[in-house]
Amino acid sequence: MKQKTIQSIILEFEPKSENILPALKKTNAIFGFVGEKEAKIIAEYFDVSESKIFETTSFYDEIKTEKQPEILIQICNSANCTVNNSFSIISEVENLLKIKAGSSASSKFKLEEISCLGRCADGPVMVVNGKIYERVTKSSVHGILGEYI
Amino acid sequence: MTDNLKVLTKYWGKINPLRIEDYICVGGYMALEKFIFKMNPEEAILEIKKSGLRGRGGAGFPTGDKLEMVARNSPCGVNFDYKIIPTSRDTPQGKKYFICNLEESEPGTYKDRLIVDNNPHLLLEGIIISALSIEAKKAYIYINGNYEKQKEILEIAISQAKEKKYWGENILGSNYNLEIEIYSGAGAYICGEETALINSIESNRGEPKIRPPFPTEAGLFGCPTAVSNTETISNIPWIISNGGERFARIGSKNSPGTKLFILSGAVAKPGIYEAPTGINVRKLIDQYAGGIKKGKEFWFAQIGGACGKLLLEKELKAKMEFCVGTGRDLSVQMGSGSILVVDKSVNIHDLLISWTDFFRRESCGKCVPCREGTFRLWEIAKRFRDGKISDRDKTAVEDILWTLDNTTFCPLGKFAGTAFRDAITKNILTF
Ligand SMILES: Cc1cc2nc3c(=O)[nH]c(=O)nc-3n(C[C@H](O)[C@H](O)[C@H](O)COP(=O)(O)O)c2cc1C
Ligand code: SF4
Repeated sequence: MKQKTIQSIILEFEPKSENILPALKKTNAIFGFVGEKEAKIIAEYFDVSESKIFETTSFYDEIKTEKQPEILIQICNSANCTVNNSFSIISEVENLLKIKAGSSASSKFKLEEISCLGRCADGPVMVVNGKIYERVTKSSVHGILGEYI
Repeated sequence: MTDNLKVLTKYWGKINPLRIEDYICVGGYMALEKFIFKMNPEEAILEIKKSGLRGRGGAGFPTGDKLEMVARNSPCGVNFDYKIIPTSRDTPQGKKYFICNLEESEPGTYKDRLIVDNNPHLLLEGIIISALSIEAKKAYIYINGNYEKQKEILEIAISQAKEKKYWGENILGSNYNLEIEIYSGAGAYICGEETALINSIESNRGEPKIRPPFPTEAGLFGCPTAVSNTETISNIPWIISNGGERFARIGSKNSPGTKLFILSGAVAKPGIYEAPTGINVRKLIDQYAGGIKKGKEFWFAQIGGACGKLLLEKELKAKMEFCVGTGRDLSVQMGSGSILVVDKSVNIHDLLISWTDFFRRESCGKCVPCREGTFRLWEIAKRFRDGKISDRDKTAVEDILWTLDNTTFCPLGKFAGTAFRDAITKNILTF
């Protein structure tokens, strides 16, 4: 079943090298990550080695090579959000969920510090499973996470 | 020339970005018509050279010179005497490319996004003129992977412009042809660097490439390629319509024009302001951004994003320029044009971690000094916060900063320690 879908995804792309990255992005968007099985099929389709696919996949933040935790929380810690107190929000989430930023210890939650998304006028910025929240405060963070837990 | 001349933001909020008719009503695409019916590519490039326009992507390279280099280079495969190894099996023959750099992941910078949000056709018109002037048959817009909404806006603009025959085959009935494609990035700061960006479109790891060959000789798929920043390109229609000489009279002599400045942090009115280049930092903070926010006390300002220098109160008279040190007055490299005002309530240790963590995360890993150096600086910053800093750390910081500055492969590594060093030398951080 899975095999069939991955093939139908890549068939949308002409087998030119410049289409590898878009195909990987699309695969990631649908499966949540690009696993070995998918990588093999993509490599065959574009007629490149599997290692080449892994090389590209592993480089970009947006494409994952492993299954992601159920709830992925990302908080911007670039300078502008830092000046707007994003570090206090990071510790609030750490305390609330009893996790550490950057750690993969919990299979349910993961907290990541990320780079600027260009929404500096509305920081601090937090992303939960791809959904963006702006002007997050230490108190509003509880409500936001409540939607997911 | 007055301070309120607006080249880029004149119609922001006044026209509907989703309607090409609105843009045409205010004189949009007239520059393209002028280019097609009254000029040849050399004349257009000459105007851009006369304008003195410098790239707004950070480095400030003269745009006219860049376009001229690509225009003069023969398309790959045809009389090409530079020895290059094709980067891809699909290397097309006889092509040149124009790329609009819309990666924009410099922290604190969102000016290119607002250009698309408010006036996408201005950018598109600039792209078409620039691409045709170098006889490129294809233009790419390399857009930040997070800019999904902007991608949609551009898609609408592109399809409207095609209907009006502003691009495609036989543009406005002429012999010009051009294809435009949006290429979406996948989350990597380094992909804003032009050679890394080219690698990314070729679906490689987004690592910078060695130069020479420069992209102007052997860029995308081994063909001559011009990469320009979104804001740079958005100046082109004005220059073609009004002439390069008029543009050269705006703002500072050695980097003329207006610039989008992004003010954030402890200012009363954070946001984006268009002002002539050469303006000093204090004026931007006080007259444009409404001064320091009530109840906050100025500490220092960071200019031009994560790799930018720090300015103390007494240095705020520095002028925003692209080539620093040429004039008599104090000036500062404006980079992307962002100004982050940091007030005394900010925890400097958090900021230090923020800077170092950014470069640790975004280092592409190609060269050791940057990959290791940024990681170690981050570790030291954390020990600093936790009060566990040792004498060994202090000497190590000196070594790491020197190594980053002198031995890294690309500018990311070179400038990764700028803010850290400034914080030490300007006594913002007591070490
Ligand atoms: C680490 C790094 C990141 C960069 N990021 C960007 C970027 O996000 N956007 C951009 O336009 N230029 C960026 N640049 C500059 C580009 O390499 C290139 O010089 C620029 O796109 C050329 O356009 P311009 O001449 O119009 O400035 C970056 C450079 C470096 C070294
Ligand atoms: S300096 Fe850093 S970003 Fe640049 S090539 Fe080296 S590792 Fe990559």
